[in-house]
Amino acid sequence: MTNWVRACATDAIDAEDLIMWEHDGRSFAIYNTDQGFFATDGLCTHQHYPLEDGIVIGTVIECPLHGGRFEVTTGEALSAPVCEDLKTYPVKIEGGSVYLAID
Amino acid sequence: MNAPETYAATNAASTGVSIDRKRLKALARRTDRPGLVFIAKWLAALACSSFAIWLALGSWWVWPAMLAHGVILCVPAYALSHETAHGTAFKTRWLNEAVLWATSFIYIEEPLHRRYTHTNHHTFTWHAGKDSQMPFATPMDFRGWLQEVSGFGLARFHIAAMLRLAAARYTPMMREVVPESELPKLTRNARLFLALYALLAGLIVWGVGWPLWFLVLPRVLGAPAMLLFTLIQHVEMQENSPSILESTRSFGTSRTGRFLYMNMNHHIEHHLYPQVPFFALPELHEELRDQLPKPDPGFWRTNLEVLSVVLRRSLGRHTKARSIRQAPHMIGQGRFERIAERTM
Repeated sequence: MTNWVRACATDAIDAEDLIMWEHDGRSFAIYNTDQGFFATDGLCTHQHYPLEDGIVIGTVIECPLHGGRFEVTTGEALSAPVCEDLKTYPVKIEGGSVYLAID
Repeated sequence: MNAPETYAATNAASTGVSIDRKRLKALARRTDRPGLVFIAKWLAALACSSFAIWLALGSWWVWPAMLAHGVILCVPAYALSHETAHGTAFKTRWLNEAVLWATSFIYIEEPLHRRYTHTNHHTFTWHAGKDSQMPFATPMDFRGWLQEVSGFGLARFHIAAMLRLAAARYTPMMREVVPESELPKLTRNARLFLALYALLAGLIVWGVGWPLWFLVLPRVLGAPAMLLFTLIQHVEMQENSPSILESTRSFGTSRTGRFLYMNMNHHIEHHLYPQVPFFALPELHEELRDQLPKPDPGFWRTNLEVLSVVLRRSLGRHTKARSIRQAPHMIGQGRFERIAERTM
């Protein structure tokens, strides 16, 4: 059975932005994009830097440290210096809140 | 390839500088327009300097014309190659990558090598043996200055790196900063670049003059100007410090200098927040002003003081500069202990 956990209110994340959310000792990045809300691991796969201050362009997150880019809908690593994909998590919106399915 | 888990990359966080998060996001916002305007102005300037060379061909005046053209060619090519390696020059990604390739061709560095080594430079800014973009040994002496500013040191490194990549004979530093899975791409790209350089050489040998007058000789003549800009980013500053304020220098410069160098005279600001594009660096500077040291004096004065310091160091005289910032251990008299060897 899917373990849905409430992360935040939908209005806690600005449009074209993200927040970091800590849960059970893990960091998650939750994005509000023009295609909806998405969630990934919160640390870049390149040098494990928090994505929090990164720039969201469409559905792409750019790591603030070295500019590595990921597609947030799939987690795919798009360009150097990142090569390893980000893990993604299913998201649902219910009653004005963002829920993540955490394994 | 990765920094140790406990290592804090050299940036705003490791320096203790902060900015409101929403303000940072606003400053880091991407757009194509400033980059396109910059390129339009750059190409217009190159067209003017090319015309001057064309007018001067056959006379002694061709040499100053090629020098001016070389400065206009080399400094912005370096600056654009740097900005696009960060991916901050344009919002449109293919445009960013196309300009990275074109300007890296002029800069003579394989584009992904440019990006990965610069990535490493931001992680380990001015850390001996770790920063893959330390172009000279520190503390610098006059011999090191000559090697750097003449362009011979960088040219030797770039040519050797290109040949090694093309031959798939990677150095330990290449293996350190580039993921194993990416190395074949660097090899493919280096071979393509070498083929294009060979084509240019072939044209010259065949008797076609334009690559020599408009590209090769100006590239050689303009390199020192480019290197005087890059030299003062970190020279005389503190090695092995987590603080960008200690390792890096910002300096004032003229409107022309800011244009040619794409505002990278705000070098501390750039290292603190590398996600901020070139056109927003003056605003970032204003935002952080109270947390930063005063920028060093203008481009020429800073360079003259550096030259004076390295000359005096080679002569065994006292090395305190008149006004530019220096790390405490750079100031003294007599024999200096070598802190860092060059890594490029």
